[in-house]
Amino acid sequence: MSSSKTFGGVSASGWRIGSLLVILGAVALTGSSAFAQTTPVASTTGKSKSTKPHTPASDSAASATPVKTFGNKNAPITMEVFSDYQCPSCGNFYEQTLKPLLGPDGYVASGKVYLVHRDFPLEMHPYSAIAARWANAAAKIGKFQDVDAALWDNQSSWSADGNIEKFVAAAMSPADFKRVQALLKPCTGTAPKSKADRSVPAADPGCTVDPFIVQDIGLGYSVPVQATPTFVIYYKGQKYPASSGMVSYPILKQFFDSLLSQ
Amino acid sequence: MSGARESLGRIFLILGRLTLAGIFIFAAYAKMKPQAAMAWSGGSVKTSLSMFAMQVDSYQLLPPQLVSPAAHFLPPFELFLGLWLLSGVLLPYSALVTTLLIGIFFATQVRTYRMGLEINCGCFGPGERLGPKTLLHDGSFLFLALAVTVGAFILNRRARRKSADSTSNSTVSAPQHAE
Repeated sequence: MSSSKTFGGVSASGWRIGSLLVILGAVALTGSSAFAQTTPVASTTGKSKSTKPHTPASDSAASATPVKTFGNKNAPITMEVFSDYQCPSCGNFYEQTLKPLLGPDGYVASGKVYLVHRDFPLEMHPYSAIAARWANAAAKIGKFQDVDAALWDNQSSWSADGNIEKFVAAAMSPADFKRVQALLKPCTGTAPKSKADRSVPAADPGCTVDPFIVQDIGLGYSVPVQATPTFVIYYKGQKYPASSGMVSYPILKQFFDSLLSQ
Repeated sequence: MSGARESLGRIFLILGRLTLAGIFIFAAYAKMKPQAAMAWSGGSVKTSLSMFAMQVDSYQLLPPQLVSPAAHFLPPFELFLGLWLLSGVLLPYSALVTTLLIGIFFATQVRTYRMGLEINCGCFGPGERLGPKTLLHDGSFLFLALAVTVGAFILNRRARRKSADSTSNSTVSAPQHAE
């Protein structure tokens, strides 16, 4: 290990230690400058640049679908969330992340984020696809947001006995509920669910909402969604890699801030 | 240990440390590289690190106030560690730090997998789902790092002993020569 070689009066090991110190300094500078740039971002988020809003590739088809979105379609950021109404992680994600995002001080209300809900009912959950049917039927009459909140807020109750109807009824007027019930009356077959083998599930031929669930599942396969919740973020026409699992709102907001500050 | 075995050991150490260096430099690059066709800049690196913060957060291990500092520290530290291993300076210590770091990663992954959380690993940037494959490759990295650490300490001690022996021989022989 000892070296007798010298370069300009400095031993070889001296050179190696010297270069390591230079590398260490450079790396420390890179890391600290990247971190330092994160801190002031929050103060600059207010001035979101006028960027051409991105619409996910699916939105042309989505225009014909029930409206399952929140916020301004022209918001600079689009967040597409694939979830299963019966999945506990999705429930936590709604409670801890989407609720603050959708709240009065959230980025949806301030016009920075456009949130798109996608149904991705998993095979393992017996009532998730039925819940998705209710949500889609409510979306057809413009009541998605109320029903979506009611389904998440009461997830543990209806997951136990499958009685989704009473929570949907409580989320809207009796007249609206009758319209939703009428939409679901022909839906007597099995509701579509995502498959482990990635095959496209069949829609009940008489059910007008099933094709929209099937469409969401197909979009989920193309992401690819491997677990729920999974979300994809679009900004300035660019799609960012999908993230899955629980992410807290402050961390998600920090990512939005870093996008908006560019 | 014969000379041939010692040479083999040295070759293993070189290959092992270069492999670990490559893994760490690539892991740091994958986490810091600009996402979604962005150009390299301070802002794009910051965005990538914020994205990595979401992956760190999904492990549900750190409190939210520590997630961002950890996510901004880890990739530059991985880069530093990769370059340190590449340089070969103080190898036993760089290998020891590497083993400890991979050990922490591996323990975290095992815990997360046992908890049933279905998340992205975040090991080499976004996209890789945490599962048996991830545990297998991280387990192999841990084994390699441990082997390099042990080998580096053994060879280092042997080299020091040799150097001490040769120094004492020369101090003993010097007066004899003078006589």
